[in-house]
Amino acid sequence: MSSFGYQIKEGFKNLFSNRMMSLASIGVLVSCLVLTGSAVLLTVNVTSCVDSVSDNNLTNVYLDDDMDHLHAVAIGQDLLAVDHVVDAQFVEKDEAMEDYREQLGEDIFKNMTGKGNPFPYSYRITVDAETMQNVDRYDAVVEALKQVKLVRNGETLGGVQSVNSHRDLAQKLTSLSSLITMMSFWIILVLAVISLFIIANTIRMTMFSHRFEISIMKSVGATNTFVRIPFVVEGAAIGLISAVLSVGILYLLSNAVLAAVKAVLPFKLVPFTDIIWYVSGAFVAAGVIVGVLGSLLSISRFLKREGNEILGW
Amino acid sequence: MIEFKNVSKIYSSNGAHALDNVSLDIEKGEFVFIVGASGAGKSTFLKLIMREEQPTSGTIIVNDMHLETLPRRKVPYLRRSMGIVFQDFRLISKMTVYENVAFAMRCVGKKSSTIKKRVPYILDLVGLSDKANDHPTELSGGEQQRVSLARALVNNPAMIIADEPTGNIDPEMSYEIIELLSEINKRGTTVLVVTHEHDLVKSFDKRVINIENGRVVADSADEEYIAI
Repeated sequence: MSSFGYQIKEGFKNLFSNRMMSLASIGVLVSCLVLTGSAVLLTVNVTSCVDSVSDNNLTNVYLDDDMDHLHAVAIGQDLLAVDHVVDAQFVEKDEAMEDYREQLGEDIFKNMTGKGNPFPYSYRITVDAETMQNVDRYDAVVEALKQVKLVRNGETLGGVQSVNSHRDLAQKLTSLSSLITMMSFWIILVLAVISLFIIANTIRMTMFSHRFEISIMKSVGATNTFVRIPFVVEGAAIGLISAVLSVGILYLLSNAVLAAVKAVLPFKLVPFTDIIWYVSGAFVAAGVIVGVLGSLLSISRFLKREGNEILGW
Repeated sequence: MIEFKNVSKIYSSNGAHALDNVSLDIEKGEFVFIVGASGAGKSTFLKLIMREEQPTSGTIIVNDMHLETLPRRKVPYLRRSMGIVFQDFRLISKMTVYENVAFAMRCVGKKSSTIKKRVPYILDLVGLSDKANDHPTELSGGEQQRVSLARALVNNPAMIIADEPTGNIDPEMSYEIIELLSEINKRGTTVLVVTHEHDLVKSFDKRVINIENGRVVADSADEEYIAI
C-alpha cells in the first residue's frame, strides 16, 4: 500500500473514531439535501402541471350537452370568427374521455363508452400571442366565446355552455411554485452554511485530537497536502454518505407524498424515479463539495502553525 | 551545511532579543554541541534552522537553501534534510516502535516495500530490533530516545538535530545516546546536539558552541578559544 493509501485509510478511521460529530454532520447535511430535493421535485411537478393545463390548449370551450355532432362541428366557424382567436380545434367526445382516462385511470370510465360518454363536444381554442400576454383582452375573448351560439335560419341550434380557461389555475400554480422556490432557496442556503460549519467543526475536532501526529508529520517533512489527505477524505466521506442517504430518504418520501397527491389532483405527476439520476449526481457533487470545503476551511489555519504552536505548548 | 550571518531574532510578541547578531559556520560531517543556560537562545537557534521561525535580520543558509527567502511550500523539503530528536521523544503512544519509525517514512511518501526493508535496518542500528513490536510506554527513557533517533535517521537525512536529547533520561543512558550519535556522525551525518549538560559535553572531544544571552560567547573551533 502506498503512503497515500495509508492516509486515505486514516481518513475513514477518523470518521468512525469521531462518530457522534460525524453523525451530526451527516444529519444536517442530509436534511439540507432532502429539503433541496423536495423543493426540486415540487417545482418539477408544479411546472409539469402548469404545462399540462396551459400548454397549447389554454382555453377549452365546452358545448351544450345536447348538441349533435353536425352542429358541434359547424359552430367551429363561429368560434373562429371571435376576435383574436387564431385556431379552434374540434375535440370528439371519445378523445376527451381518452385524455381523462390517461390522467385518472381506467376504472372510472369502464362503462362510459359510446352513448354513455358523459363528455360534451368541445374545442381547443388558441388565441394570438398578444392576447396571451394581456389579461384584460384575454378575459374579453373568454367572454365573447361564452356568447357564441349556432343560429341557422333564425333558429338557435345550441351554443357554448362553458369556457374553461386554466389560466387562473396556471397563474396560481406558477406563483406558488416561485414562492416555494424562493423560500426553499433561502432555507437551503442557511442549511448549507450550517452544514459547512458543522463539518468544519467535526474535522477541527479530529484534527485537534491528532495534533500530536500532525506536529511530528510536519517536523519530518510531510507536505501540507499530505497532512490534509485524511481530513479531506473524512469530509468527502461525510458528504458522500449524506448524499446516498438523502436519495434513499427522498425516494421513500416522494413515493408516499406523490401517491397521496395523485388521489386528490387529476394531474400526471413526475415521479422521483424520473429525475433520480440527476438528483443523485447533484447530491453527490454537492455533498462532496460541502464536505471537502468544510475540511479545507478548518485545516488551512491549522497548517500555518509550526512545531509547538500546533501542540499548544 | 549551516551558515548564520549576522542573524538577529527579536520576538514581536514581547520584544525579547532571543538572538543578537550571531554568525557561525557548521561544516558537513561535523559533530557540534550547542551549550547554554535555558533562555540563552538555543531553542530560537533550532527553530531558525528548522524554519519554524524567520530571522528578524541576517541570512541563514542550511543545505544550500536560503531560509529567509525559502517559500513555505519548500519547507517540508528542508525538513527532510534533517532528522530531529526531541527532549520529550515525541513518540506516538498508540503505535509500536516499528510503526513510529515507519510513520516518518510514510509522511514523506515512501513505498511500503522500501519501508519494510529500511525500518528493521535502522532499528538494528540503534539496537532495538527485539523491541520492534513494543509500545513506547513499555520502554525505558533511553530506549524511547533511541526510537526517536531511529525515526530521525530513517529518511537518511544529511544532519541530525538533537534538542536536549538527554534531558529526560538517566545519566548512564545519556552517554549511550551521545555515543550512538557519535557513531552516526562517523558515517558522515552532520550532528548538532543542543544541551545544557556541561559535564556530558566535557567527556566528548567535540566542537562546542556556547550561547549566552543570544550571543555566541565561545566556540571551540576558534583559535583563541578557552574552555569554560
